[in-house]
Amino acid sequence: MLFSSIPFLYYFLPVVLLLYFIAPKKIKNSVLLLSSLFFYGWGEPKYLSLMILTVAIGYVSGIFIEKYKGTGLSKAILLLAVVFDLGTLAYFKYADFFIENFNKITGLSASLLGIALPIGISFYTFQILSYKIDVYRGTVSAQKNFINLATYVALFPQLIAGPIVRYSDIEGQLTQRSHTVDKTAEGIRRFIIGLSKKIILANTLGELTESFMASGEKSVVFYWIFAISYMLQIYYDFSGYSDMAIGLGKILGFEFMENFNYPFISRSISEFWRRWHISLGSWFRDYVYIPMGGNRVKKLRFFINIFTVWFLTGFWHGAEWNFVIWGLYFGILLTIEKFFLTSFLKAHKSVDFVYTFFLIAVSFVIFSGNNLTESISYVGGLFGAGGIPLVSQGIGYAVKNYGFLILISALGATPLPKKTVTYLKNIGCGEKIIDILEIPVLIMLLIVVTAYLADGSFNPFLYFRF
Amino acid sequence: MKNKNIIMICIFALFFSVLSVMCYFKADEEISDSERRVLAQKPELSAERVFSGEYAKEFEVYAADQFPMRDNFRTVKAVFSTKILNKADNNGIYMKEGHISKLEYPENKEMMEYGAKKFTSIYHKFIKNSDADVYLSIVPDKNYFLAEKYGYPSINYENFIDYFESEMNYAVYIDIAQLLEIDDYYRTDSHWKQEKITGIAKYMAEQMGADEIRLEYTVNKLDNPFLGVYAGQSALPCEADEIKYLTNDIIDNAVVTYYDTGMPKEGAMYDMEKAKGKDPYEMFLSGSTPLVTIENPAATTERELVIFRDSFGSSIAPLLSQRYKKTTVVDIRYVQSDYLGAFIKFNNQDVLFLYSTTMLNNSKILR
Repeated sequence: MLFSSIPFLYYFLPVVLLLYFIAPKKIKNSVLLLSSLFFYGWGEPKYLSLMILTVAIGYVSGIFIEKYKGTGLSKAILLLAVVFDLGTLAYFKYADFFIENFNKITGLSASLLGIALPIGISFYTFQILSYKIDVYRGTVSAQKNFINLATYVALFPQLIAGPIVRYSDIEGQLTQRSHTVDKTAEGIRRFIIGLSKKIILANTLGELTESFMASGEKSVVFYWIFAISYMLQIYYDFSGYSDMAIGLGKILGFEFMENFNYPFISRSISEFWRRWHISLGSWFRDYVYIPMGGNRVKKLRFFINIFTVWFLTGFWHGAEWNFVIWGLYFGILLTIEKFFLTSFLKAHKSVDFVYTFFLIAVSFVIFSGNNLTESISYVGGLFGAGGIPLVSQGIGYAVKNYGFLILISALGATPLPKKTVTYLKNIGCGEKIIDILEIPVLIMLLIVVTAYLADGSFNPFLYFRF
Repeated sequence: MKNKNIIMICIFALFFSVLSVMCYFKADEEISDSERRVLAQKPELSAERVFSGEYAKEFEVYAADQFPMRDNFRTVKAVFSTKILNKADNNGIYMKEGHISKLEYPENKEMMEYGAKKFTSIYHKFIKNSDADVYLSIVPDKNYFLAEKYGYPSINYENFIDYFESEMNYAVYIDIAQLLEIDDYYRTDSHWKQEKITGIAKYMAEQMGADEIRLEYTVNKLDNPFLGVYAGQSALPCEADEIKYLTNDIIDNAVVTYYDTGMPKEGAMYDMEKAKGKDPYEMFLSGSTPLVTIENPAATTERELVIFRDSFGSSIAPLLSQRYKKTTVVDIRYVQSDYLGAFIKFNNQDVLFLYSTTMLNNSKILR
């Protein structure tokens, strides 16, 4: 089920919240678990059993990892459990990719499996992995209550598109969480803002990027409009989803980690990755990069570490070479930055933003392709490859139709709106006025997003495919 | 702050509760009058459909289609999209000079080719070996008058018309585009107004060599307001049009026969039942009808006319028919063109292909 859909907003959510808040404390997690299973099974019931099996194996392995802590058996169980998780991910997400490439290399024609990707598998697999590893490391205790562990994995606000919530972050909240008026109100605020980001901005930007894909009139300027629109679309789509997840979490008494922090104001690529998809970046840092030795190793080992992490980051996003290249592209940029550019960028404040923005825009164009050939062609288009003209006929209308949207989306991706509100609050009776206006503005936003949904603006979240 | 948060929680709880209850218990509607389409109904519940995910997909569509106060919400979306986000169109529809128009862009080469081939095959099969004189006339859509002026993309009308002229070189082209202006069309609909096209009818008849006769009309007006197809599709607030229709003795005394299903049925030039219906423009020759003949007892000529047409032809055919003894109006969207020989005997009639650019750019529905 999608957050940005009428069945979720007006059929599922009100009933779930009603049941959740009238349920006695000791069965609140059961209500959440059952609701989450219904939420997941709504569109893809056939993969419900896979998720339950993943939780069951996580539950049993967690208990035994802890029981045999300090022995080889504990490590062996962890390894087996990790192999199961990664094996499942490999089978469901990457099998056809491996077969296709095997066929290309060997000239054979092994048949593809044609398996549909279970929604959210990359997210919940990483969550259960972090749980098992943390139990092995002794940073958390094994969860003895199956319902609590299953609730952690299946919790519908963050189940299918993150943020990737660590078990260690919500271990206590699974049994002891507070429901306060302030937290609930903050949750509502955050949820509606996220919903608006997704439906009003991301989906409308999506219309432009789709019309670009369909257009036969491509030009250099059109490719750049596409690049900027696409990066904003992905940002609002994904950060909107994270806002909704965090907001719903607050309403249900949870505190999830932030996933975005104005990534497009970054002044270096390393800063960008500290601000973009924070939960994924920190997951790879804590469970792959640092265990491999991080950067406190010899140069060659450092290169191996960084390229392994970025290869995996790219591959996590999709079973296509363009995602791998996208990941390695960041690996190369981060290496260059670390060894050559850090001091230069610090000394040249005027170029650091342009440098970062340019490289990030190119990265999103690599990301946008359905395969490597398409990505190469799109990147080529940014620089006029293939003799395409500088401008084409459709640009005037694209700017007329979407220019204002792109402008407000770009401004909205910076701290400017927040700073403006803070500034206004500090002048005269600004705070009072903003306080009075807040509820009507949020109501209006909710009416508008409902209007978009009723008009049939149905768009799945882009990050579901990962 | 705490009080404000309590108020906020109460308001949103109320908002979600009310709409949720309405979603669960509102009676389903079958048709959207404003959009003129059938609405999705509650999908059939079965284990197989639930497990295949089909039920969920259909429920999404159903929930959006049957959403309470949907038309009001659609208007909110249209106004927000065009006035706040400053979008130039909403779902491909825009409003300029008080007229609502739908983007028709770009030229669909495949459709154009399909249309031209369909007409040519009709010509070769039925008309070529008769003594009929063949004419072609293309009615421009509203973008012809608005798009360039306001920076909207549109088909290249010159190339578009040239294509049909050259592909249908057996037909004499009657250029009416230059005689039309935007106010000859309804503000909220795609069609032209009958009371504004008497000059066009006269010009066409002259080009086809029909006898010159002086015609006078009484202008009648429907009581009910007319919200055309674009009004509903755009969901933008707009002023309703009024439908006027022309009568005189010839029109009143014409023998109009409808060949739909079953036996031929005699009727009137203007269907006053349909005038009160959801699409009052359907009053002209009863709207979507495959074949209509109009016999003119007052004719001073033996000439006959066959019009291959889309819905634009419905309102001009009564005007043209006064200059002919018999007019046959064919809509090959609703009748297989292969079987035309069973209904029409082509000999020395005037044969007019009269289609709008919108139809020709989406001609796959021609049969």
